Amino acid sequence: MSHLEVELQQLKAETIKMWTLVNMQLRKGKEALINLDKDLAREVMLSERRVNAYELKLDRDCENIFALFNPVAVDLRCVLAILKINSNLERTGDIAEGIAKFVTNVDNTFDKSLLEITRVVEMYEQAISMMDEVLEAFDKEDTAIARKVFLQDEILDEINIKANKIIANYIRNNTDNVEAALYLLSIIRKLERVGDQSKNMAEEIIFYIEAKVLKHRSVKEQSK
Amino acid sequence: MFKIESKNVDFFYGSSQALKNINIAIKPNTVTALIGPSGCGKSTYLRLFNRMNDLIDNTKITGQILIDGEDIYAKGVNVDSLRKKVGMVFQKPNPFPKTIFENVAYGLRVNGISDKKFIEERVETSIKQVALWEEVKDKLKKSAFELSGGQQQRLCIARALAIQPSVILMDEPTSALDPISTSKVEELIYELKSKYTIVIVTHNMQQAGRVSDTTAFFYMGELIEYDNTKNIFTHPKIERTQNYITGRFG
Repeated sequence: MSHLEVELQQLKAETIKMWTLVNMQLRKGKEALINLDKDLAREVMLSERRVNAYELKLDRDCENIFALFNPVAVDLRCVLAILKINSNLERTGDIAEGIAKFVTNVDNTFDKSLLEITRVVEMYEQAISMMDEVLEAFDKEDTAIARKVFLQDEILDEINIKANKIIANYIRNNTDNVEAALYLLSIIRKLERVGDQSKNMAEEIIFYIEAKVLKHRSVKEQSK
Repeated sequence: MFKIESKNVDFFYGSSQALKNINIAIKPNTVTALIGPSGCGKSTYLRLFNRMNDLIDNTKITGQILIDGEDIYAKGVNVDSLRKKVGMVFQKPNPFPKTIFENVAYGLRVNGISDKKFIEERVETSIKQVALWEEVKDKLKKSAFELSGGQQQRLCIARALAIQPSVILMDEPTSALDPISTSKVEELIYELKSKYTIVIVTHNMQQAGRVSDTTAFFYMGELIEYDNTKNIFTHPKIERTQNYITGRFG
């Protein structure tokens, strides 16, 4: 194995570690939301520092590979993809932290019926599942897995679009629980962003493996 | 119209086939890089363009090589005229044991030009073209061997330019040079492109990326892939090309 291949393998391994950490943040955030577990939410917020440290390390590693190895073709695309995935992961970590922060801020509990009618838990699970699948696609270098994510994102979009009306109605009928309802709307908005980040990462994986650029294409075209 | 066209070219050293069915069309005012592992046939192919391989015994070419639409291997082609049109620069700087001035003037003199003023002007223009004038203008009568390796190589390029070719062949022109001289020669190649069609053999992948518009990858006498350099170095179509440029086989 060439020196560059060794460096690229290490870079991928570091990316997977960061990814696993971010996905863990999302999982714990979901549990914290369902159980209103503020300790768990604080744990999520604290792990954000580790995600940031990974981001800086991966940035530096990519810079070193460009400078020292002048990668080309698939190697170049690999480093470019990881550089962008690194930013996507850091943003996703920020989102997980933001959701955890809402959980620690909220005074009342989240009304179970509201969780049900907004489908926020389903949305959360879907977002986590997308993140897991994109990670698997990256690990196995399998673009067929990456492509599945584009369709799955439509479920997140659908839940997000319906949330406004549902929450507005709920607030009209539950004026004592407005704050929690607004926090929940913000969480839904953030989960929708997780879907977007997953899609961006799937696009990067397809660019890396197949040298195809899928940005700004329709879901139909992306899923082909 | 293409400046150089190679149609179904096979080339043999005795019974051993060095090139197999090479088809390439090169546009004027471009730089084409020939890359590939040692022994792949890229230098042999380069030397076909000015019939340098004619000097080797027991060689045979089939197919056609056209420069400006004319078959350079057709009967009756004057090889001296061809080489005036197709200049060449070699791996190691090879100035003649003459003064700096005479090195550049040599090609003109052997072509029967004796007008002193004309020769002086052409020598100055050629040396200026290779960005060497400021460095040598006060020592034109000194031996070319007094120059550094990088300066000697640029002088050799000036010598090739003096007879005003339209094609310049370069066989690993910077492999014997330090990084500063290499970058000067690369800058020069970039500038010369506006007036000449350049074909360069290089072992340096990054150099191929930096200087060329199109790249041809050779392997074991075959042309594996020929495309825009950007495509070759970002998403080559053939796996063997990718393996070579990423260093997965040597």
